[in-house]
Amino acid sequence: MAKCDLSIELEKEPEFLHDGGATIRGTLHVHVDKGVSCSGLVVESVWRTHGQGNVAKGTAESKTLFKGEWTEGQSESYPFELSIAEWPPSYHGRYLNIDHYIDARAKIPWSFDPKASVPFLMRPTCNREQAIASTKVPTKQLARWAIGLFVVIWSVSFFGGFAVAGKSIVPFVLLTLVMLVAGGFYLFRVFLPRYLLGEVVCDFATASVAPGQQAQGELVVRPRRNVSINSISMTFSAREECVSGSGSNRKTHKHLFYEQKEQLEGPTTLNANKEHRFDLSVSLPSDAPYSIDLTDNKLIWSTDLRIDIPRWPDWHKAIPLEVLPSGKAGQVQGKPLPEIMAGAAPGGRGPERAMPSDSITFDETAGHLWAVRDDPSQREMLVDAVTGLTFQISARVERRLLYAGSDDPHVFDGGYAVWANAEDPPLPLVLYVPHHLADEFEQIGRELWHGQGKILGWDDRHERLQIRVDAL
Amino acid sequence: MIGQSTIFPKVRCGRPWGWCNLFRNPFGELTPDERAELAVVDISEIVGVLNQPRIAIQFIGECGRGKTTRMLAIGKELPEAAYVYLEEDRPCGAIPTGYPLMIDEAQRLPRSVMRTIFSSGLTLVLATHRDLSRPLRSFGYRVKTYRLGRDGDANLIWECLNRRIEASRLNAGPIPVLSRADAAELVRQFGSDIRAMESYLYDQVQKQVYSDGEMRFID
Repeated sequence: MAKCDLSIELEKEPEFLHDGGATIRGTLHVHVDKGVSCSGLVVESVWRTHGQGNVAKGTAESKTLFKGEWTEGQSESYPFELSIAEWPPSYHGRYLNIDHYIDARAKIPWSFDPKASVPFLMRPTCNREQAIASTKVPTKQLARWAIGLFVVIWSVSFFGGFAVAGKSIVPFVLLTLVMLVAGGFYLFRVFLPRYLLGEVVCDFATASVAPGQQAQGELVVRPRRNVSINSISMTFSAREECVSGSGSNRKTHKHLFYEQKEQLEGPTTLNANKEHRFDLSVSLPSDAPYSIDLTDNKLIWSTDLRIDIPRWPDWHKAIPLEVLPSGKAGQVQGKPLPEIMAGAAPGGRGPERAMPSDSITFDETAGHLWAVRDDPSQREMLVDAVTGLTFQISARVERRLLYAGSDDPHVFDGGYAVWANAEDPPLPLVLYVPHHLADEFEQIGRELWHGQGKILGWDDRHERLQIRVDAL
Repeated sequence: MIGQSTIFPKVRCGRPWGWCNLFRNPFGELTPDERAELAVVDISEIVGVLNQPRIAIQFIGECGRGKTTRMLAIGKELPEAAYVYLEEDRPCGAIPTGYPLMIDEAQRLPRSVMRTIFSSGLTLVLATHRDLSRPLRSFGYRVKTYRLGRDGDANLIWECLNRRIEASRLNAGPIPVLSRADAAELVRQFGSDIRAMESYLYDQVQKQVYSDGEMRFID
């Protein structure tokens, strides 16, 4: 039988549509059957995805309402008010769903923590820029190119090595086949349509549009020779794209939920060396759902243009369109950037950097990072700003690493790495420890470690701040 | 007409499963913590042997047979445990110490990392598609192997799926219940592949959003 029951009562009725960034109020009721000690009655405003994609989640605000003893039969009510996240908005589709919740948990030492959760609905009031900043996960274009180059070099070396070692032509045949497929794809998809049509230019005036608005653009074709076409068509569509599992269990679920087709031109001949212009215009329903990009959970609006050429590969191009809130200026302000971000030079991954003159502490830095840990773009900016800085650090050691990762450049020769947490808030860290401090870390167990370290960056994979412990 | 559309009113304001007292489709993806909480697996025997020195447990089976769920359940029972998932398309990431250390998709361990881990002597729990008992024994481990998913158990499926429905409850009051006959039919169709059952049931529930009447799990 439970020692304590939690229930949440929100001030507004369940169907009320809350504004993003606003405050939500309610009361957390606690009823205790048996006397119990509570190390923290925590209430949080959070959002979570549900459906077929891997769960994405974020915390807008967290508060501890109570710490102490409850006696047998005691009933208490704790009023609370919490900030609501500005993004993402509530959404219910087929594979993708997003809901906001008030979660409550009573931390009971040496026992299962009683929990309660109540969903509520949210509509965004942030402006377009804030939504873009919250939506976009920074892409590592350079890293993708590097991986591509690596794959090409590896393939050539692998097949070449086999051929030389085995004196066989089979690897060369395989390599040639791969290159033929890639070349054929390029020929049909890009080269042949361009051979007839020349460079086709098309785009929208703006890459983002609000529900209820129109996006305007233009398609310009200047063929090199007279070209007969069957049609020029445009398909404006929206789909959910969710990924479940990872590695070999990875599965992508796609659901097209909106499609609008339009023929821009019927059968005709496009004359050589003459510019043919076609207006592009798409109208969004006033209640259209917003574009969403939460890594494995996406809602994508796109425009597909196609020029149908008889007995020839068709030309086509997909233009993504971001559907974002128009915002109400001045109504909701974005989170202020910490001063250190405003003052720091971008890309501060220099070899050595002094601490700022007003001496921001490690605890303050950890606090800022903790606050933006679910917002990749803000987190990256902040990490860039503090990378290279040296701090006095207090950290609670979590566990030692048997293997620090194949691509980890920060480990000392003969040293090792430990996972740790900052003291308050418990920001996850990875500490790279020099060899001569190994004993100190072995003996400290899970006690608090104090020392000096330099911030090296952020480990995206394990979501930890990377710190090199100074070899004093 | 711009500004007058009512195509998507429910995507923002609705409670698609509110009519059956659920806040979500119960058969979607869960977080690892939720999976551990909802696991219907008997791990008492396994936990019992994990305190022995240099012992390795390996779960062998196809996808969707409960290897990861068992590991997550062990992790919930033993707070000192560490769980690592080895991704197929990325280099091996960091591997922490753990008591026990649990490695999912352990057949993907690079040889050099495998040596480092097996020579550590830590108690190991491995989920794998390939039998790793030979290399484990060569490092002095005693190996206990569990082969999963040979046949489906309708009672287990019934309990497992009803737990998921319960975990999606919106308020106090009645919620849909999957019958034992439905569970038996699912076992007949999908054998022991729980993931395939969940996928099928997800689509079944999704067909009934904003519905009324009684939830039907099998047509």
